[in-house]
Amino acid sequence: MVTPNVKLADSNIIVKAEKVNKHFGSLHVLKDINIEVLKNEVVVIIGPSGSGKSTFLRCINHLEKINSGHIYVNGHMIGYHDRNGKLVEDNERNIARQRAEIGMVFQRFNLFPHLTAIENIIEAPTRVRKTPADQARADGERLLARVGLVDKRDQYPNQLSGGQQQRVAIARALAMKPSLMLFDEPTSALDPEMIGEVLDVMKELAHEMTMIVVSHEMGFARAAADRIVFVDEGQIIEQASPDDFFTKPRSERTQLFLSQILH
Amino acid sequence: MYHFDWITFWNYIWPPSAFQNPLIRNGLIATILVSIIAQALGVILGLIAALGKMSKLAAFRWLSEIYVWYFRGTPLLVQMSLLFFGLGVTHIYNFPDIVVGAITITGAIQAGTLALGINEGAYMAEIVRAGIESIDPGQMEAAKSLGMTSGLAMQRIVLPQAAKVIIPPLGNEFNNMMKTTSLMEVISAGELFFGFNQINARVFKPFELYIAASLYYLVLTTIWSFVQARIESGLGERKGLERGPGMMQRLFGSSGEGAH
Ligand SMILES: Nc1ncnc2c1ncn2[C@@H]1O[C@H](COP(=O)(O)OP(=O)(O)OP(=O)(O)O)[C@@H](O)[C@H]1O
Ligand SMILES: [Mg+2]
Repeated sequence: MVTPNVKLADSNIIVKAEKVNKHFGSLHVLKDINIEVLKNEVVVIIGPSGSGKSTFLRCINHLEKINSGHIYVNGHMIGYHDRNGKLVEDNERNIARQRAEIGMVFQRFNLFPHLTAIENIIEAPTRVRKTPADQARADGERLLARVGLVDKRDQYPNQLSGGQQQRVAIARALAMKPSLMLFDEPTSALDPEMIGEVLDVMKELAHEMTMIVVSHEMGFARAAADRIVFVDEGQIIEQASPDDFFTKPRSERTQLFLSQILH
Repeated sequence: MYHFDWITFWNYIWPPSAFQNPLIRNGLIATILVSIIAQALGVILGLIAALGKMSKLAAFRWLSEIYVWYFRGTPLLVQMSLLFFGLGVTHIYNFPDIVVGAITITGAIQAGTLALGINEGAYMAEIVRAGIESIDPGQMEAAKSLGMTSGLAMQRIVLPQAAKVIIPPLGNEFNNMMKTTSLMEVISAGELFFGFNQINARVFKPFELYIAASLYYLVLTTIWSFVQARIESGLGERKGLERGPGMMQRLFGSSGEGAH
């Protein structure tokens, strides 16, 4: 069944959040978040620990429910539909269908440990998209080549380094051909010497697809971001191009935060 | 001084004479088959109840909770008697004998197997649930973020990993199951212990016969221990599971230094 969704006019807007609020019990984690992300734009979200960055990403693919507001991806409202003026949560199948269009990369990789690299990659295409196995495998190998890991095809995750695991995880998300990729601190669980290889893969992806990246890798932000969004205490404090953001931050909180992370 | 009757003793444990006795041969076969079927039933019911306990639907949760509560909170012997004698007398359900070719599956065997399986399901539910809960929730999230429904993610991602956690205690449950089948004696299902009781009623040598009977169970559980060790080491090699307890510890229990 296709539920009627509120369509947005501008097909160039991939993500649109309107007055999004999220509470965990009495904790108000996201406060009236408004943001639009355009096609092929790379948005880097930074902010102090606990400011709600991960929560916002998780709301975009409905791993967390929002308490009020709307989130649209590709013009479709995420997680809810309108029934006689009231928002009702979608059924699981619809939510799953929407999530299939949104790739997510986690801080702790979350590869499936009982599957090899290639099996990790083809699992969702074959089971969710019903892609024939040989085609999924061919696609998967191409993706592994793209992240530089064809020779690791048959290794289990625990036989791979952290950086390699994260690259497989990126390939796994790409295998669903998503129109949007979400990255939640993809390099912060990695040893320093492995951060570069993951960021390189991400830089290659940038501008080929729409990406929202939570990261404190300022070098990456400078090089790849179109826009930097600074979040504090569940609010968007400031957004600007990397140049403007780093050279002339407007708010005091941004200045304070930058002085702390740039030493 | 009691005179141990070696002749009777050997007669009932040593092939071929022992296995020529239908009470022992059929009893042994029944014990093995009932154990396997009841354990399989227990695994299926346990899986359903474990998923039920975690269901979004309150009705499933309650049903599963009550099932586990009742069957773990009451004696198996009472459950079995209720199922066989209790249902029988109400005429709600009488277990009819089923004849398949030369084999008759008595109503008592069916009722006993069912009672064992249902009871086992309540214990397996906890084991399965603990197995599922031992898996990092990030696995379910990753699967969902790829567009899998929670059912598919459970089947393809969570349960295969949980299986590694579930299999060792499942093996121990099966060891118990083989011994617990002896409780079916109260409903006169023709398993091994029933067979020995029948023989004893004729020859009255309880000391010799019950030692003999115990040895049958000991052989079964010992063989199973070896099988279990093989299964677990196979699992461990393939998927990085921790090594299970060694053979000695398995047979004689953990003691002092061996335990950790
Ligand atoms: N499932 C949850 N239940 C209750 N509180 C939560 C939950 N998830 C997050 N929080 C709280 O919400 C707030 C925002 O958390 P979130 O993980 O979004 O922050 P973050 O900006 O990603 O921080 P970090 O940089 O440390 O990852 C924190 O105070 C956190 O403790
Ligand atoms: Mg976070």
